[in-house]
Amino acid sequence: MTEFSIKKVWIIAKREYLERVRTRSFLLSTFVTPILMSAFLVLPTLINGSAARGIMSDNDRPARVVIASDNSALAELASGELTRQPGTLYQSSIVSPASAAERERLNRQLDDRAIEGYVWLDDSAIASRHVVFATRRMSDSVLQHRLGEALSYAFAAQRMVRQGSSSADVAETLQPVALTAVSAGRTSGTYNELRGAAVVFVLMFVMLFSLLSYGVMVMRSVMEEKSSRITEVLMCAASAQELMSGKILGTGSVGLTQIGLWLSIAGFGASRSEYLRTAMKVLDVGPSLIVWFVIFYTLGYLLYSAIFAGVGAIFNSIDEAQQWNFVVVLPLIAASAMILPVATASDSTVSVAASLFPFCSPILMFERMAVHEPPLWQVALSLILLVATIGGAMFVSARIYRTGILMYGKRATIREISRWLRHA
Amino acid sequence: MTPAVELIEVRKSYGGFRAVDSISFSIPPAHIFGLLGPNGAGKTSTIRMMIGITSPDSGVVRLFGEPLRRRALRRVGYLPEERGLYRRMTVGANLVFLGQLAGLSVATARERIDTWTKRLEIADWVDRRVEELSKGMQQKIQFIAALLHDPDLIVMDEPFAGLDPVNTMQLKDVLVGLRALGKSILFSTHRMDQVEKLCDSICLMNRSKAVLQGSLSEVKNGNGRRFVQIDYEGDGKCLAGHPLVDSLNDYGNHAELRLKPGADSQELLQSAILQLRVIRFQVMDPSLEQIFIERVSRKDD
Repeated sequence: MTEFSIKKVWIIAKREYLERVRTRSFLLSTFVTPILMSAFLVLPTLINGSAARGIMSDNDRPARVVIASDNSALAELASGELTRQPGTLYQSSIVSPASAAERERLNRQLDDRAIEGYVWLDDSAIASRHVVFATRRMSDSVLQHRLGEALSYAFAAQRMVRQGSSSADVAETLQPVALTAVSAGRTSGTYNELRGAAVVFVLMFVMLFSLLSYGVMVMRSVMEEKSSRITEVLMCAASAQELMSGKILGTGSVGLTQIGLWLSIAGFGASRSEYLRTAMKVLDVGPSLIVWFVIFYTLGYLLYSAIFAGVGAIFNSIDEAQQWNFVVVLPLIAASAMILPVATASDSTVSVAASLFPFCSPILMFERMAVHEPPLWQVALSLILLVATIGGAMFVSARIYRTGILMYGKRATIREISRWLRHA
Repeated sequence: MTPAVELIEVRKSYGGFRAVDSISFSIPPAHIFGLLGPNGAGKTSTIRMMIGITSPDSGVVRLFGEPLRRRALRRVGYLPEERGLYRRMTVGANLVFLGQLAGLSVATARERIDTWTKRLEIADWVDRRVEELSKGMQQKIQFIAALLHDPDLIVMDEPFAGLDPVNTMQLKDVLVGLRALGKSILFSTHRMDQVEKLCDSICLMNRSKAVLQGSLSEVKNGNGRRFVQIDYEGDGKCLAGHPLVDSLNDYGNHAELRLKPGADSQELLQSAILQLRVIRFQVMDPSLEQIFIERVSRKDD
């Protein structure tokens, strides 16, 4: 009775695959997710980046800043520095002297949204070097930062001029230092945090989402066959192992198809759009990372689909399976909670342990490989543990499956399930 | 000739519950076998062991003369009691899929689907989704699915349940035709009246045991022909105390009686003629249902 026909597995997998790929929900999730994902990717960049200024401000005009000071030379210097960079998004004007009437007028302009803010540089502010910036844009930290820089520049420049430096001299001395961070060091635990975070969020989201949805899909498919009573017809034509293998393969191929489509969309986008190309470069999504992604995704899927197939065979409906589902999904939830800690401390003991734990390793070991190169032995060990766990899960699930799919109506108790395991 | 299926002393328990207790029978080619009994008697459990869905705790199941192997199941067509098809797939797609699983090529499957759906008058429905079909139609589709790969042994669990008389006749005709082609057919039912004209032999199950089995005439001869109806003129009192009569319902000029075990109805007729004017004397063929009820109630005593 232990004959295993690859051909039957193939027929079962093919039906499963074609039925799922043709559904509306597959098309929807395949083509809507990239849109959501790119929004997820692009929005933060827009909000942080200079392009966001236009979106964030109440209108499309650049930020208009007034510098009010008794010392008009100082105000000139600050204003010049603020708007020095080509393509600047700031406009500045000067009011001098800084009288009480002037302040009234500026406050009214703020109320009328005629300006975005003013710097009050009266004598006491100059003496204490503590300057107040009244603004409608409290959240615009970039503007505040730039303004601070400009004021520091102005203070220093004016002192240098007073001490007899030429303006060329001043410009050269106060020229800002450019700082670029590069990722370096194998074991130092440093990495490009921005890139790490981006990789982590996009790929982890895809991985988690796919593992969960396709795992649950296997479970639902098993329950459907149970409740539609078709299992008995199938059981006469194919063995339980053939049925389970075919189901897992067919549904898994749907998941891989979807991920393949997403990669193609990303590739196509990258070939067309400069922005995406840069994004891919920033994300450092190279061929080897994609291969690893597919490997870890496939292994993770095999593990979770095996478990979900077993759960599906035990219960008759999703409602009944709810509690057990939670237990199954728990490691995935734990893994998603670990994504950030692992990203920031990829080589910590906790990260290493979590990335070796087979129920989390598809996500966390891949994450470590994406943000930083973990030692080879750790990768190898996690793969070995993962494959061994998959073998165990398949073995147990196949036994539960064989008995469970023929048990209609009645919910199995734990004692019964353990009997299925022993006697199967 | 090798029987298509043979069960020898087969037993099966689920947990503490004994579902099948020491069942033996065999079905030769060109033979229709009825597995009868009330709900919960163990019919489905017996069938499941015949087709490899479950395996017996003890005893032997042989298919086509050999111990049960998966490969032999290719020659078996099965219609389960709980009907099941993929509801969202079309009738045609369901049948092609099941045909492929049974080892047919897609082309052969399509050809046979065409023939069968025409024969059962549902060809117009092949491209419709299963969920659009009525229950009776779904059952016909399932019926076709069991026969698509031209099996030598056809096992049907309650094949006529829920069918209207017209469709029941249609399927019965198909089964009789298959018997003529040399196929072995087993079907189970709790409706005993349905099988009397159809079965060559039967096995009556009750509470996981076989209470009665053999060819239909054997069963009836061995257990029946003890019911007699008499229309008479005269005084029927002589029947009441007659040594051959076990029980009697006397309606004045019509009597229904049961003979004692082993009694010969001819002897009764001879003695009756002496005292009565017998207008009609008929030995009744007991229905399977009567036999079964009698058997079961006797066992319970």
